[in-house]
Amino acid sequence: MSDARRSPYVESTIIMTTVRVIAPFVMTYGLFVMFHGAKSPGGGFQGGAIVGALVLMLAFAFGADPTREWVNQRVVVGLLVVGVATFVGIGLATMALRGSFLEYAVIAGAKSSKYAIELIELGIGAIVSGVITSLFFLIDAGFDVEADAADAGGETPEETPGEPSSGEVGS
Amino acid sequence: MAPTPVEAGLLVVILGSALATAVLRDVLGSIIAFSAYSLGVAMLWVVLRAPDVGLTEAAVGAGVMTILLLLTIAKTVRPSEDRVLASFDPKTLVLVAAFVLALGATVPALPAVGSPDAPVVSSEVSQYYLDHAYKDTGVENVVTAVLAAYRGFDTLGEAVVVFTAGVAVVAVLKREVTA
Repeated sequence: MSDARRSPYVESTIIMTTVRVIAPFVMTYGLFVMFHGAKSPGGGFQGGAIVGALVLMLAFAFGADPTREWVNQRVVVGLLVVGVATFVGIGLATMALRGSFLEYAVIAGAKSSKYAIELIELGIGAIVSGVITSLFFLIDAGFDVEADAADAGGETPEETPGEPSSGEVGS
Repeated sequence: MAPTPVEAGLLVVILGSALATAVLRDVLGSIIAFSAYSLGVAMLWVVLRAPDVGLTEAAVGAGVMTILLLLTIAKTVRPSEDRVLASFDPKTLVLVAAFVLALGATVPALPAVGSPDAPVVSSEVSQYYLDHAYKDTGVENVVTAVLAAYRGFDTLGEAVVVFTAGVAVVAVLKREVTA
């Protein structure tokens, strides 16, 4: 039991220095994969996974709690919404221009469909990286075996629906 | 068609790490073996000229999945035992062997890798995409053209599935964490 409460984080100068050096390159590569999906292998799903992995890497090097404070949770959930809104918005915009849903060619301008596709890839990237980041932070914060047991008297925490108790925080 | 040395080596790594994932008793060892398996599969995709799939497999399978699984076992109790290998129920073994045989029996029906007679190559649909993708959408990568333009509505559905699943998990876990 005591093993479960111990934080898995170990501070290491080597890991911190390495991550500090390669983090900008990983971010650039993630964005490259998202933007360049139209021309080379890649796209929103892959680029989003790389950007999400970057946040995991930072947490690995500097600890999950400082990283959680650094990455605003509202921004992460906002990313998900912005991603879906971009995709649906482009679809509706093409309909507003008297085309079919997601018929990019009706947007005026040279290579308009290419830019629309790249925008959509960015939206997908926002969704994927947001889901990965928030999953990571939630799994890291939750499931504290002893704290849960103490809170709920040895039972799994169960409460009346619609009334979350705000007093005790498990993490 | 005989596999090239690279393919053969990758197959050995993949099969070996997959077996290790299944038979290792220690969960941490299993997760590491699973990560190696994912990395092997990602490299095999690249060798088979599917770099899009390889990228996803490497980032999600070998990277993110491993970290999430490691976090999970760090948060739970890990039984310490001296035995290295897990013990199996013979009935389970028979069932798994039958499943592998049934799946393996379908392999000879597949066309050879890179065969010019494969339905994917000779199909009119593939040829249409290859001929028209650039003119219709302006993107060079046909995979992206199919994903985002020809099958754009499907991809929207996929993105919404990821979004919905993520929001649902966040909502449920947030309740658990703050409860």
